[in-house]
Amino acid sequence: MPLPSLLAQVAGAENPATFFTPGKGVLAASLFVVAALVIGSILWARSGGRVRIRRIAGLDAVDEAVGRATEMGRPMLFVPGIQDMDNIQTVAGITVLSRVARTAAEYDAEIEVPCTRSLVMTSAREAVHAAYLGAGRSDSYNPDRIYYVSDEQFAYVAYAGGLMVRRKPAACFYFGCFFAESLILAENGNSVGAIQIAGTAETSQLPFFVASCDYTLLGEEFFAASAYLSGEPDQLGTLLAQDIVKAIVWVLAVLLALAATVAALTHSESLSGLVDAVRAAMGGG
Amino acid sequence: MSLPHAAKSPPPPDRIQVIVATDCGSTTTKAILIECVDGHYRQTQRGEAPTTVEEPFADVTLGVTNSVTELQELSGRRLIADDGTVIRRTSPTDPDGCDVYISTSSAGGGLQMMVAGVVRQMTAESAKRAALGAGAIVMDTIASNDQRKPYEQIQRIRELRPDMVLLSGGTDGGDQKKVVELAELIAPAKPRPRFGGEYQLPVIFAGNKDAAPAVQRVFGQGFDLSVVPNLRPTLEQENLGPARDRIHDVFLEHVMAHAPGYDKLIAWADAPIMPTPGAVGDILQTIARKRGINAVGVDIGGATTDVFSVFDGAFNRTVSANLGMSYSISNVCAEATMPRILRWVHLPMDERELRNRVKNKMIRPTTIPQTLEALVFEQAVAREALRLSYEQHKAFATTLKGVQQQRTVGDAFSQAAAGATLVDNMKLDLLVASGGVLSHAPRMEQTALMLIDSFEPEGFTELAKDSIFMMPHLGVLASVHPDAAMEVFEKDCLIYLGTCVAPRGQGKAGKPCFAWELRGAVNAKGTMNVGDMQLVPLAHDAQCEMTVTPEKGFDMGAGPGKAVTRTVRGGTVGLILDARGRAIEVPGEEGARRATIQRWLDALSVYE
Repeated sequence: MPLPSLLAQVAGAENPATFFTPGKGVLAASLFVVAALVIGSILWARSGGRVRIRRIAGLDAVDEAVGRATEMGRPMLFVPGIQDMDNIQTVAGITVLSRVARTAAEYDAEIEVPCTRSLVMTSAREAVHAAYLGAGRSDSYNPDRIYYVSDEQFAYVAYAGGLMVRRKPAACFYFGCFFAESLILAENGNSVGAIQIAGTAETSQLPFFVASCDYTLLGEEFFAASAYLSGEPDQLGTLLAQDIVKAIVWVLAVLLALAATVAALTHSESLSGLVDAVRAAMGGG
Repeated sequence: MSLPHAAKSPPPPDRIQVIVATDCGSTTTKAILIECVDGHYRQTQRGEAPTTVEEPFADVTLGVTNSVTELQELSGRRLIADDGTVIRRTSPTDPDGCDVYISTSSAGGGLQMMVAGVVRQMTAESAKRAALGAGAIVMDTIASNDQRKPYEQIQRIRELRPDMVLLSGGTDGGDQKKVVELAELIAPAKPRPRFGGEYQLPVIFAGNKDAAPAVQRVFGQGFDLSVVPNLRPTLEQENLGPARDRIHDVFLEHVMAHAPGYDKLIAWADAPIMPTPGAVGDILQTIARKRGINAVGVDIGGATTDVFSVFDGAFNRTVSANLGMSYSISNVCAEATMPRILRWVHLPMDERELRNRVKNKMIRPTTIPQTLEALVFEQAVAREALRLSYEQHKAFATTLKGVQQQRTVGDAFSQAAAGATLVDNMKLDLLVASGGVLSHAPRMEQTALMLIDSFEPEGFTELAKDSIFMMPHLGVLASVHPDAAMEVFEKDCLIYLGTCVAPRGQGKAGKPCFAWELRGAVNAKGTMNVGDMQLVPLAHDAQCEMTVTPEKGFDMGAGPGKAVTRTVRGGTVGLILDARGRAIEVPGEEGARRATIQRWLDALSVYE
């Protein structure tokens, strides 16, 4: 059917399909504002604008952990979580792996990366290989130290735990998505005297990591790691835009909460109307 | 009858009544006479003579004899025998000679070392700490992660002519491969020692004990290798003592024995000759231990500035090689920048003229300021040189890196990193200054203000200066008679300038900062506003109970806003109340800046 005829048929239907939902206009505007902030921040950062990121002790300690492994003549263990590459935490973990691998290459330290997914293994190999090339130590790169273990959560944990007890790594890195295995891994690492650095956005696992690791990247810090490590204007600009948006949302939330409270206390119809309008615009009931 | 003789072991402390000590510097040999007067050890005479280590004399003992002869002339006690040696007393009633002769040396550039370790921030840093603590100048630090290619490292090793090499690396039972690789870099590079062509370069190995046999094989012939316990047996532990002791032994056996005249000097001395900075470090540690305090010492010279610190028993020394007041003055100006130097100056000055003055000082290092303007400028440069040296010291004097941390869930948002500085100005009890610009400032107030502006002490800090640089002599004396060393240090070595009372924090100029009250030798009280300084006269031997109640936002050591009571000591300057806050801020606008500096100078009568 030709397109004009199709459009005429849709327009004349009893429930015509529409491209836009009129009630969601505020959300659309928000989308454009956020996009504009991200683009603006990136352009600003590219033009030499200084974006300051507060120091993240866990990332600063990577050199120290690799140095410890070098002095002790022991390997390092990097666990990129137990999820596949479709999980953003795994992607962030691979970014950190690049940095750890580059430092390991510079110090000529041994790094071991057991993976739960074949695709993660492939990505990790690529990242580590690139890091060794960047450090000018491509001859030291050993792909056999980055390998697949099992898709099964506890089969993997059993292997990793056994590896720690046998090889006594001097440094353990846990960056990615973790669940029940977090404490088992971190406690094993602690018991063999390793410096441990962890990063995850799984809030339920963070207390375990904080208690048993030397340094822990908490949620957002983990995602900021990429920008922190690379220092690239595009990533720094994006991070800046995210922070601005968070600040705007926080201010709006406080203002609206105050407005709702005042409306309830004073029975002000105008304020109630404003709060209801914003609630409706944001998709609330 | 008194007979000259060479003694190797000193008599027991209770038999030591007369002590002759010398410090053989690069240009001057300084001698002091210490005598037991009415049961108290006092420094009674001082003499000095040019050092004679270089040609045409090429015999360090000539300078020693000359300087001790001056002591002899001043004291009336015969100390030098006809053959030029130092006379020893034969009995407690013998009017001639001394009971003990001791010496330090930094002649011919002192002890120069190269150190190496596997990881720069770990074993290499420990090796550097050991070498510096023993009084050496560290010429370079080689590490497997120092960003240099092996051929660059070998080139560098070949260029250096160290007196000895300290090699470390690997924990016990840890890495062997890289420490042996380091040995394989050093051995073929064959660094040549400074003194003597036939002399085998001493190498001290203080690394993984399991790697020692392999390291011995690598060095084989051509090196004088000695193996001592590991500097870092585990990464959690630093064991510098054996390496430092071995450095001292090697310094005596090899380096000094090959320097002109030192074989005779070693035979004369009753205790091992120590490198001058090592002796200064020893006396500072002794005083800190005996008084249970934290102390910082600084010696600012023409080419270098040494900073020593003892915090909670941990000793550290740094040498800022390019920060000094004559040979290195240009570097101070370049590193600090002229605006930062001139922020301390209250007089109008032409920057172009100052640059000429700096270059003149560099090429004529022995000149001293002839005008008030020149003095003010030199002291401004000194403030920046001291500040930069102290910053370097803070960065070096840190807790150990590579150590496993213990956390609780409560640490989630405050994960302090390892390697934090040990230097805490709030815990600093005593700040000792030496070096020409500090020791020979025309007024004591100038020395005190230079120290306060550059070190920014917090809480209660005693300020003192070693006016005739006696600390090296006392450092080596401490190894023979610690009580005598302490007594002379307190009574004759240090000139107490007073106590600085300064809260930590910042506030708006003119707002209340703290209230104070003195009870005892002086009874007074008052309040200080932010940005003010005040001098309360308090005599050298006077002590008072002082209560300081800081405002909210200011801390005297007990927490913000909490009152602190301490016994404070007076001095030649007195009690200095400093409410400028920390860090000290100088106004940016020129007129306001000069007025502010003038106000601070007036408060302490610095240039009156």
